[in-house]
Amino acid sequence: MISDLRRSREERPVEKKLLEETARGETVLEARKITKRFPGVVANDCIDFEIKAGEIHAILGENGAGKTTLMNILFGLYQPDEGEIYIGGTSVKFRSPLDAIDMGIGMVHQNRKLVSAHTVIENIILGHPRAGTILNLKAAGKEIEQVCDRYGFKIDLKAKVWQLSEGEKQVVEILKALYRGAKVLILDEPTSALAPPETKKLLASIEAMARDELAIVPFITHKLPIVLAISDRVTVLRRGKVTARLETHQATEKSLAKEMVGREVIFRLERAEVERGKAILQVENLSTLSDKGFLALKGVSFEVHEGEILGIAGISGNGQQELADVLAGLRKAEGGKVTLEGKEITHSSSRERWERGLGYIPAERVDVGSIGEFSLTENVAMNYYFDGAYSKYGLMDYQGVCKLTEEILAEFSVMAPGPEAKAKHLSGGNLQKLILARVLTRKPRLLIANLPTQGLDVGATEFVRNKLMEAKKEKAAILLISEDLDEILSLSDWVAPVYEGEFMGVIPGAEAEREKIGAMMAGSRPEGPET
Amino acid sequence: MTIGSYKLKLEKRVDLQGWKAATISILAVLFALLLFALIFILAGINPLTAYRETFSYAFVNPFGLPLTINRFIFLLLCTYAFIIPFRAGLWNIGMAGQLYTGALGAFAVLLAFGAKTSRSVVLSPELVIPLMLLASAVGGAALGALAGLVKGRFNINEIVVTMMLNFITYWLVAQMIKEGGPFMNPGGRGESFELPTSVHAPLIAGIPFTIFLVLGLALLLQFMFARMRIGYEIKAYGHSPAAARYAGISSFLLPVLVFAMGGALAGLAGYHYFAAVPGVYKIARNYGYFGDLAFYGIICGLISQGSALAAIPIALLFGGLSIGGRYVQGKLSMSFGVDYALLGVLMITLVAFQFFFRYQIVWAKTAKERSDVGVSR
Repeated sequence: MISDLRRSREERPVEKKLLEETARGETVLEARKITKRFPGVVANDCIDFEIKAGEIHAILGENGAGKTTLMNILFGLYQPDEGEIYIGGTSVKFRSPLDAIDMGIGMVHQNRKLVSAHTVIENIILGHPRAGTILNLKAAGKEIEQVCDRYGFKIDLKAKVWQLSEGEKQVVEILKALYRGAKVLILDEPTSALAPPETKKLLASIEAMARDELAIVPFITHKLPIVLAISDRVTVLRRGKVTARLETHQATEKSLAKEMVGREVIFRLERAEVERGKAILQVENLSTLSDKGFLALKGVSFEVHEGEILGIAGISGNGQQELADVLAGLRKAEGGKVTLEGKEITHSSSRERWERGLGYIPAERVDVGSIGEFSLTENVAMNYYFDGAYSKYGLMDYQGVCKLTEEILAEFSVMAPGPEAKAKHLSGGNLQKLILARVLTRKPRLLIANLPTQGLDVGATEFVRNKLMEAKKEKAAILLISEDLDEILSLSDWVAPVYEGEFMGVIPGAEAEREKIGAMMAGSRPEGPET
Repeated sequence: MTIGSYKLKLEKRVDLQGWKAATISILAVLFALLLFALIFILAGINPLTAYRETFSYAFVNPFGLPLTINRFIFLLLCTYAFIIPFRAGLWNIGMAGQLYTGALGAFAVLLAFGAKTSRSVVLSPELVIPLMLLASAVGGAALGALAGLVKGRFNINEIVVTMMLNFITYWLVAQMIKEGGPFMNPGGRGESFELPTSVHAPLIAGIPFTIFLVLGLALLLQFMFARMRIGYEIKAYGHSPAAARYAGISSFLLPVLVFAMGGALAGLAGYHYFAAVPGVYKIARNYGYFGDLAFYGIICGLISQGSALAAIPIALLFGGLSIGGRYVQGKLSMSFGVDYALLGVLMITLVAFQFFFRYQIVWAKTAKERSDVGVSR
């Protein structure tokens, strides 16, 4: 029966396929008693899950709750140890994602799986059985455009993928899944890389798709408001188990957070008032190039003082990464001047800056901030191998670093088997805690925190923000780069919205209003004299 | 795969203990010998006899053993020349070129001391031999550093650069030692002038002193990667250049450094074969053969997975089999290439068995028969 279904689907034109008539409310996908074990953990413990056509059923859980495993099982990347998956009431086994795709399951990955040198349309039809050897881009383009119009996606099909923003890439992934005939759409952290306006558009599109009888499963780690805004039902996972399944209208942000974390969570953070000290970082007219060679940072000037947090608010790709890199000595300054505690460091090496009191928490915690194959001790050594206290006469004091690591694990409550565990086995939140701890224990004078809470769960986010506040109390000057406007507003003493490599102003935190900052992030300059 | 009520399953290893890795490697060697036995059988030779001859010549015979050891020293130096950049994630394919420039460096010292005219020139070995060692290391290091420099500054692929330098230096050596070249043998013959007897490398029980040099290096490298700061920096860069850069490790200096270190060791290999192995004592006409042999350093380095100590038995095995294989080919009147074929089979099985470094086979009792309802394609 299943194979019949598949064959018939392939014969039908795309447009019809998308609007396949499934009676509203009919269960399209069901997972029963799914259990998946990995050495040492039960990632999924007897999980039940079902979704009806036209429904938006969110799955919510912290990092390590088993979301990714469940998602991979539903998409055929893993096979469950126990339990069954049913599609339209028939038990199925996915041996690979191909099986899942053939049965109408579409996946929108958080780490986009696109060919960046190809155009949007080429990416969409890549691997499609109907694409064949000779591409009929025109016909496919027409079909895709109809889909775009229907759901309100705006995208240039001829653009190359590397030119697209994160939000646009996500649209390409959604279109790709729809073009392959998805009836169930799995969205991995759909709004994590999007700016507020983009998020709004995406949510509208999701609702439009649900009206067309698509079943949509967003997996969400920490954006609780999103869950409340769009979903019909929500399933909460904690430590591999389902802890709650609610109709969304019965849920509140607080109740969901409690189910997720297992305790009450404080959402608001008391901003610590610290007396403004001397200037630690002075930046004058700094500019630098991006990897592609265009001017990514166009002459920014600012100061950060002792005990002060300057929040750089902006949608990613507006020069924040380049700013962090150039301040950390990882990118050449094309012009301007950087002074750290009165000493010019514009052209100093990265290590010299570390020795002068820089602390840098990079955005890419897996690829840049840590080394997966290294033990935790060796990872901690990344910021200490040049420190006289831990390496003398060219020899490493691994015992010393190991002791420091043990202290860090305890003090920052990093969940890890011990200092000898490999970093690649740590969850995102624990890895971030380790990196944060490693940098903070150096007592940096200038701390650059680039997207410090991105992708973290509620508990870890709260922890990281508290630690930043503590560093502030210890008189560090902090440059906080974030896409999360709430984070910027709740932590910063000064807010600098950045747009296309320029600061749209530097506004005192107390005067920063959400709407105003949001508009400035989109490129509008404030009226009146600049501050 | 299911056998009775048991199921054979491949499982990813979480980690691998050293002794398990050693066991797997030994099994691989045995498997290779078993496989190669087929070739002996096809040639109508009893494989047991063939292996007895091979191993006894390579590891017991008073003529064969020193040959094996000399080759072992050479191979191990080339292996280390590969391993040091390899631990930094960089591929040194230029051991051949580096050993040529190393040999040229060593012979340049002799030239400077006026040793070209006659083998009977008396030089002070206490002065000249250390100078030759130094010059060969510097010669190899300079060529290596060049590749590292181009990599670090312009990010040009080090494999291509080191490979190309091999060709350049091959002809450079020819230019130097053939007729008209400054290192030319007074009698012509397309080889270099000979080493004066007074500066022949000291022998210990017929083995050049370089054996101590290379074993000392083994310990030094082991120590360097386990405890030294530079070892840490190399490993960090090898695992993730981006993370290493973040930690303040220069992505320019590090490639230069590892290639200079590797090149220096390859240079010493050049000194060893042309100035320390009894019976050679010159840059021989067939110097290209040693350049080719240096490539086995890559194989030994890959099989030992970058471990300086694990490389010792592997280099010894390869050295011995290349000597023993050549011998048995002549002794049993087999056709040309037995030694190469033997090393080739060994190489392939060792690399193939590395699969088991990452996966293990586990037996599991099947819980119950599950009906495989589902999609069939």
